[in-house]
Amino acid sequence: MKRQLASYWLLLGMLLAPWSVSATQTRHITIAAAADLHEAMGKLVEAYRHDHPDAVLDVVFGASGMLLTQIEQGAPFELFFSADSSYPQQLVDHGKAGGKPIPYAVGHLVMWSASIDMRNVQVADLVQARFGRIAIANPQHAPYGKRAEQALRAAGIWEQVQPRLVFGENIAQTAQFAQSGNVQVGLVAESLVLASPDKGSYAPVPASLHEPLRQSFVLTRRGIGNMLAEDFARYVQQAPARAILARYGFSLPDGADH
Amino acid sequence: MRGLDAKFALRRGPLVLDVDMALPARGITALFGPSGAGKSTCLRAIAGLEPDSTGRVSFGHELWQDSARRVFMPTHKRRLGYVFQEPSLFNHHSVAGNLDYGFRRAKRPAHLDRDGMIDRFGLRTLLDRRVGTLSGGERQRVSMVRALLSDPSLLLFDEPLSALDGAARADLLGCLERLHGTLQVPMVYVSHNIDEVARLADHIVLLDGGHVIAQGSLQETLTRLDLPPALGEALGTIIEGTVCGIDTHDQLIELAFPGGTLSLPHHDERVGQPIRCRIAARDVVLARERQVSTSALNQVACRIVAMADAGASSQCLVQLDAAGSTVLARITRRSWHALGLSPGDEVWAQVKAVALGA
Amino acid sequence: MALLSDQDLQALALTLRLAGVVTAFLLLLGTPLAWWLAHTTSRWRRPIAAVVALPLVLPPTVLGFYLLMMLGPDGVVGRTIAALGLAALPFTFKGLVVASMLYSLPFVVQPLTNAFESIGDRPLEVAACLGAGPMDRFFTVALPLAWPGVVTAAVLGFAHTVGEFGVVLMIGGNIPGQTRVLSMRIYDHVQAGEYHQANVLSLCLLVVSFAALLAMSLLRPRRYLRD
Repeated sequence: MKRQLASYWLLLGMLLAPWSVSATQTRHITIAAAADLHEAMGKLVEAYRHDHPDAVLDVVFGASGMLLTQIEQGAPFELFFSADSSYPQQLVDHGKAGGKPIPYAVGHLVMWSASIDMRNVQVADLVQARFGRIAIANPQHAPYGKRAEQALRAAGIWEQVQPRLVFGENIAQTAQFAQSGNVQVGLVAESLVLASPDKGSYAPVPASLHEPLRQSFVLTRRGIGNMLAEDFARYVQQAPARAILARYGFSLPDGADH
Repeated sequence: MRGLDAKFALRRGPLVLDVDMALPARGITALFGPSGAGKSTCLRAIAGLEPDSTGRVSFGHELWQDSARRVFMPTHKRRLGYVFQEPSLFNHHSVAGNLDYGFRRAKRPAHLDRDGMIDRFGLRTLLDRRVGTLSGGERQRVSMVRALLSDPSLLLFDEPLSALDGAARADLLGCLERLHGTLQVPMVYVSHNIDEVARLADHIVLLDGGHVIAQGSLQETLTRLDLPPALGEALGTIIEGTVCGIDTHDQLIELAFPGGTLSLPHHDERVGQPIRCRIAARDVVLARERQVSTSALNQVACRIVAMADAGASSQCLVQLDAAGSTVLARITRRSWHALGLSPGDEVWAQVKAVALGA
Repeated sequence: MALLSDQDLQALALTLRLAGVVTAFLLLLGTPLAWWLAHTTSRWRRPIAAVVALPLVLPPTVLGFYLLMMLGPDGVVGRTIAALGLAALPFTFKGLVVASMLYSLPFVVQPLTNAFESIGDRPLEVAACLGAGPMDRFFTVALPLAWPGVVTAAVLGFAHTVGEFGVVLMIGGNIPGQTRVLSMRIYDHVQAGEYHQANVLSLCLLVVSFAALLAMSLLRPRRYLRD
């Protein structure tokens, strides 16, 4: 009996122990980043830390809409990098932002296939049967998904391809569907394609077919007065950071297209 | 027609069963022995409920099991009527439902007297009752009739009365006695209670430690002198006779048999009714002369056939013959020598009526 | 009805249809499996029982992920299916049925196994002695006696499938009428900031789950009277 009681307390202790470890870092922020920044943000943070080794920047990736919801419900992010500009604006409108939305990149939509040769393929060609299932991000809430729908409508094939669409919860999942070959083609963020350039082939979706993907970031209320957050925000708008973004296929807000 | 031939071996935990028995095609054969002898396991193996057994079991002209030729007839194809020790009625059926379960699967239902059996066993009023509301005795009665209604060619009863209390047991024993007379099929009846065996069995197989010690007709086997001491208490005489008189004043009956008459306490017998009476060897007193001033009501003239040692070193077993009926007595060696008894002597065997009362 | 849009109703209908089909298949296939687990003396019993119990502890997303890999064009199962000329399973209702069957497997098989075990051997031995063959014994003795367990298995399997999310997220593709089940719809409403709709649908899901549990306790017949 005594031994059982002892093991019981030991088990409880083991389970609760991690709580007693207190965070001692003072320069620490958490960044909420849209799914299409998956590789790019990682590189940005890496470069920043190269110059500021004692800074700790955690990044949480997700669908822009979901991140907005979480921030509004008090999620502990200091910076919010969205895949569009409307979500950061909503944060401002709801009084939960610490500043104005600042554009940091313009995203590009591409058609990517793991198995089919996409050179010279037009958006309207997707109506062909060989493109089987087409993955797009959920237009209901994902910026890239909304643009994908716009492009398909503009190309006049939305009605026909409707039954063949597969919806990813965010642009990253959409890319995963395309990459794994579970769908024949996916309309995904160019930044994600450039993260694994050897896989499959892709063709650009002309920017004229959809609203631009002006991606903005904003400081959250929690980030106000946080030196690290403000410093990183400045960093992102400077040349070295912009170069990284350009490598991942982003156009720059007031720069030339790649 | 051949009866049941069973020669098989089986290992079940600490018990190693190795039997070889041949049972007749008619009548009730008791499978008797102390607890742990393997009686129930033996019965289950005969029924096909122990697939691990190896050996040969045949009944009539049907081969039920032959391990050497990889023959094993599954239980549901052997037309058996099995009654388990614990009342094992189906909870999801009423009494009528239980009875009909076997009846609907009977090979020749027209050949069975369903209503007759229900009435004879007193189940008419119980038909719509749910199983959970029945007493132990009632449940076993239903179990028996259910087995009978499945039109079996062999009945296997595994200590059906041992889970019951005195009154229920006596009641059901009477039912079984009446059934005995009308049985068309043989029955194997497992019991560790010698009184049940005495009243019901025609043949007996004695089992101990997983082996058959003896088998044969009831009277012959229980009056043998060469059985192991473990079965000592079972030994005795089974007298089959007819009631020839009833004394309602003294509440005694007279039982007539080839060797004379016996007086026993009266229960509910009628004149002319054939009954059995068991005389335990330890209840027999031997005397050289017929006694007059003794309270023992029964004195039977016998001739000593043989004597052998009994288990306890102070005692011996004496086998006697009373006009064709074999009687067994257990007396002290001292008395044997003191009376100067020897085989061939004419003596009187005395038994108290009270000793025959149970 | 202003409360639920057409798409929401479609998702509700799809969810109920999915749960129904999955439960039916699991009962059909799970019963022989549960019977085997309850009666076998084979040394495979323990490992197989553990595999059956795996979805209880496996995170649904892990299950969904592995299924996506296996059923995809490079996966073992996916390639076999393609070779047989059949349509691929991910992102289809059929694929979701298969995934949900694995996800809800222990919720159906375990109550069934317990029910069969609790019957014990005796009623079946009795039935055999009365002339009932194996199939006969199963349908006329085992199943009726195990009935409360069957009801439990059906209700648990149904309710569990209704609430499924992680697996659907991985392998569903959120296709209206095919794989856009209620839980996905709620998730999408939240992502789009449509809290009112999310609330309504969540309430719907809650009511369905509660009704299922209530049904379980009402439909279960009282235990047969024991001695």
